[in-house]
Amino acid sequence: MALPGLSLPGLGLQPSATPVYGGAAPPPVEQIARREDLPPQSEWRFEAAFGQQYNIRLLSGQAELFGVELAPKQTYNLSGCKGAIFTWQGCQLEITGDAESEYSAKETEYAVEWLNLHGMLETARDEAQPDGGPRVLVVGPDHAGKSSLVRSVAAWAVKAGRTPTVVNLDPREGMLAPPGSLTAAAVASQLDVENGYGIPPISGPTVTPIQTPLIYSYPYASSSEKPAVYKALLTRMALSVTNKLEEDATAKQSGIIIDTPGSLNDPKSNYDILNHIVSEFNINLILSIGSEKLLNDLTRRFSMGKAPGESVPVLRISRPGGTVERDAVYMKQLRMSQLRQYFFGNAKEPLNPHSHSINFGELGIYRAKSSSDASNTSTGFGADDDDYTPNFGTTGSDGDFEKVTPSAAMTGSLIAIKFCPASSDGDAVRDSAVMGFLYVAEVDEARKKMRFLAPHPQRWGDRALVWGSWPEVVADLLT
Amino acid sequence: MAARSPRGSLSGASDIASDFEDSLKDLQRNDRFAIENLTNIARESTEHAQAISRVLENHIKATAPTRKLPALYVLDSIVKNVGTPYTVYLGRGLYSTFMESYGSNNDPTTRRAMDNLLKTWKEPVPGSMDHRPVFPPDVVRPIESALIRWKTGMLQKQNQPQLQPQGGYRSTATPPQYNGQYAVPPVPVQQNAYNAFGSQQTPQQLAGHAVYHTPTPMQQHYAAPPTSVLHAPIDVQVVKADISSLISRLQTQFAAAPYDTQVQTKLSQILDLQRAVDAKPPFGDSLRQVRDIVAALAAGLPPLPAPTPQPHAPVQWQAPTPTPQWQPPASFPLPYQPQTAASYMQPPPAQSQPLPILTPGALSSLQALLANGQKPSTPQMRTAVPALSSASHTQLNNVQNNVAAAPTANTADLLAALAKSGMFPIMSAPNATPSVPFSASVAAPPASSTASLLQSLQSILPPASQNGTPTMIPAQLVASKPRIPFSAAALKQFRPELVRSLYDEQPNQCSNCGRRFLANDEGRAKKARHLDWHFRTNQRMADPNTGRGQHRSWFVDEMEWIRLTEFDPSTTTADAAIAATTAKKQKGPQDQYVRAPAGVTRNTCSICQEEMRSSYSEELQDWVFMNAAMYNGKIAHATCVEEIKKSSLQSASGAMAAALSGAYAGGRRQRSETPDSALGKRKAEGALAGAGARIKMG
Ligand SMILES: [Zn+2]
Ligand SMILES: [Zn+2]
Repeated sequence: MALPGLSLPGLGLQPSATPVYGGAAPPPVEQIARREDLPPQSEWRFEAAFGQQYNIRLLSGQAELFGVELAPKQTYNLSGCKGAIFTWQGCQLEITGDAESEYSAKETEYAVEWLNLHGMLETARDEAQPDGGPRVLVVGPDHAGKSSLVRSVAAWAVKAGRTPTVVNLDPREGMLAPPGSLTAAAVASQLDVENGYGIPPISGPTVTPIQTPLIYSYPYASSSEKPAVYKALLTRMALSVTNKLEEDATAKQSGIIIDTPGSLNDPKSNYDILNHIVSEFNINLILSIGSEKLLNDLTRRFSMGKAPGESVPVLRISRPGGTVERDAVYMKQLRMSQLRQYFFGNAKEPLNPHSHSINFGELGIYRAKSSSDASNTSTGFGADDDDYTPNFGTTGSDGDFEKVTPSAAMTGSLIAIKFCPASSDGDAVRDSAVMGFLYVAEVDEARKKMRFLAPHPQRWGDRALVWGSWPEVVADLLT
Repeated sequence: MAARSPRGSLSGASDIASDFEDSLKDLQRNDRFAIENLTNIARESTEHAQAISRVLENHIKATAPTRKLPALYVLDSIVKNVGTPYTVYLGRGLYSTFMESYGSNNDPTTRRAMDNLLKTWKEPVPGSMDHRPVFPPDVVRPIESALIRWKTGMLQKQNQPQLQPQGGYRSTATPPQYNGQYAVPPVPVQQNAYNAFGSQQTPQQLAGHAVYHTPTPMQQHYAAPPTSVLHAPIDVQVVKADISSLISRLQTQFAAAPYDTQVQTKLSQILDLQRAVDAKPPFGDSLRQVRDIVAALAAGLPPLPAPTPQPHAPVQWQAPTPTPQWQPPASFPLPYQPQTAASYMQPPPAQSQPLPILTPGALSSLQALLANGQKPSTPQMRTAVPALSSASHTQLNNVQNNVAAAPTANTADLLAALAKSGMFPIMSAPNATPSVPFSASVAAPPASSTASLLQSLQSILPPASQNGTPTMIPAQLVASKPRIPFSAAALKQFRPELVRSLYDEQPNQCSNCGRRFLANDEGRAKKARHLDWHFRTNQRMADPNTGRGQHRSWFVDEMEWIRLTEFDPSTTTADAAIAATTAKKQKGPQDQYVRAPAGVTRNTCSICQEEMRSSYSEELQDWVFMNAAMYNGKIAHATCVEEIKKSSLQSASGAMAAALSGAYAGGRRQRSETPDSALGKRKAEGALAGAGARIKMG
């Protein structure tokens, strides 16, 4: 069964020889192309729903989307995208399809700021100290434009010949990975208009740029759900990133840009996690978008009255005028789309996932406990708490990860394959990087067999699997 | 041979290897006779080289610290006198073998001996027809950089208590900048190459091919010696770069002579100077003074000693006079002397004559060549420095001698004046950094005057040519770049030059994807490659084979990600791309491949009989069987072949993982205040990082 309303960006336009799973786009409707002239330093804002065909072509002039320049006369499929095509020099666009909203706007002072920020980072790279280039933390409430800012300055940096390391710490929206992931990637290839940072490696040739990310699993929706786990992963990731930059002089000079979820804007915890990031990644520039209180608090904490060597500048960055609330329905569709892309690819690079049926006995599955049962391990998990049998193997009962036997409650969940062996202790399971994700297609408790949808034809060997509450169960990925 | 079962050969190997092991265990000290004997066993048993190498590696790791050096001499003797295939087998684990021995020894003499040993491995075997180094650079270089970083880290740690203010969030957990001994993962000899191409070529030949393309990011960025900045407009950035350059050279020197407390002192003082300049950039006269000092110092740097210097060897193993190696065995144990190129070279000339007038260009060329161990009379030198091509041998030798000398007279005065002028008040200002810039630091021997500091610097600094500071300004886009500080005010004003840098200054645009290129030769070459890449990609995407089921790759583990050099495949030549991706990768069996013969998409593993399917390799731009190797003329899973060979790879990668966990543990200690920290946990995880080589087939 096809999934109405869930086509992916770039999906459904070009007929592909291989049927794309779930790629059923609405029947092509003859659309009337319209033209839009944009004066210099203005932008075309649009919200295109998932499953809605929405194409933009640059007819003349120059334009960019999140810092990525559009090629002249190429059709870009921006279905499922909310953004703004910006032009520094003025341009004419050809637009096809329907959007939930679209309009041109001239209030683009934010873009000047962002570009100046790029210039600042370039100066910092040119004048990089032995400890490396600018290490930037972007903070602010949700929907303030943090990810757009990060993507724009990353795209400009790559255009200037740099290799910035981009870090995503928002588990609700994956970067080069499904939701529930924390990602680091050193970006050397130009970003893609439709796919942003590109796609993680696949077995065949690609048109879309390939990025090789390092992935950690944080299977919770919010940093506040398991702050200790979140912080441990940050420490681990910072260590990997720092080591990588020591190996690669270009990347070290290019610096780091860290995108964060709005949940870190948390005065009640005394900004505990932000402090942790600043010290672990040795941050030397903080950008605050969309919250004066956060700006003031961070300025007081990191900048004011500090000695020159200790002070971290905190800059207020304007939120783009076009930022819109991305509602729960949209976010869920976005997660679904990321999940599906991981297994099935996109229209340009369709992928075949593989099915693996495995006996319970060959699996080492750990459950990432939710915050509600942190103090009491006998509490079950979600609505299906009767369906699993906790099996305290090597993990202490007070750990965040407990070994469990497979149960029907896992059906439809995403499971992370960790690089560590199935017999690892809780902290190793927590900290280990992710080798891949599995989708639980079926759990046959009678025959004690589990069927997975896996990205790769090979089995993953004796590795720890982690089952968490995030992203939410998807019942129809396979149907 | 072909008829013998692999098991049979293994048992044969185990007999020889255990003989070897027994003799090895008897080796208690530096006994040349015994080392020669072990070398002969190895020479006569090359078919068991893998087992012998493993025994040797294990012995070096397991034996008492005092016996490690003699055992390393066995390794040295074997690789220099027998060579292939031992260089391949021992090269794989050399990083962990060497680093563990180094780390387990606190004896300065022993460590210095190890340092010298390492140096000789970068060179060809003296007198050999083979001009390749004993071990390929990508085996030795990670060890070198790990040592440099470790030593620098030690020094910086010594300075840290002074420099780190108390309290505050920043001090709770700083990620390690030089985080520990084993931060650089080993880069073993590339394995896939010879497995892929069959056995006609020796492993070393192929490994060598791969090796010489290895990118060396640090060196690519080294600046030219700053000798010509004396009359340039004063730019604080240039001065800073020059300081970095000095530091970098001192670090190299420090790596070479880690127990020289004078070097430590100088290095920490220069680091102080750098911090002072960074904290409060000098201007006006102060800047001029700093610049003059730095420039004078940089211009006066003596050349490196010959690259494989006559080792300042510990007494215990140095023969009293330089002798041809491999003297006939004597009736009593003689110390083993590692072969060094130095035995065949003149000692470095004295460094006492006044500096002749040379153009900066000639000087730096000279220094570069001297650093590479070139005698001025060699043809290469004459070619490289045309001005010298007609000079006589004697003249050239004079030049070489003179390069070493430095102008000293007024630099000392300048430096002293600078220290007195109070241009570094920042050093004792708000962040409670107590040190005065040129006071002796923690590790320092008796406090040195500025003049003697200078003299010491002159005597210890190698030339600028190879070890300068990374050039922090990329070649392109420099001209019109505005300098924008981190400040709120700087955000508001529109700067058209920034737009130009992203558009007009890269006028050469790809019409497929919008990517831009510079209008110079490099840009045009890149664009040509880029368009070619589009063409190839489109062609391949149109290939009906491509549609038949691609799949997502597994994500990489931390080690692989750290080592991965990101590059843009669309503008990189295939050779460079393969070198970049493969050179830094630890090749496990699952990374090996065999190109699929035309039309063959499936194959049955000749060992486990399971089906194998070909897949497309972006790197090779060809269809290949991954995790595949030739076995008895047929394609088999590389993992299956490895299983049969009972390769030493497993232990090698385990050791590597241990090395990594050492790095993690080292980083941990530096930030022990971090909550949730648990040293042991890291280790447990680290030990798993190498398990990637053992993925079972599904
Ligand atoms: Zn292109
Ligand atoms: Zn097999």
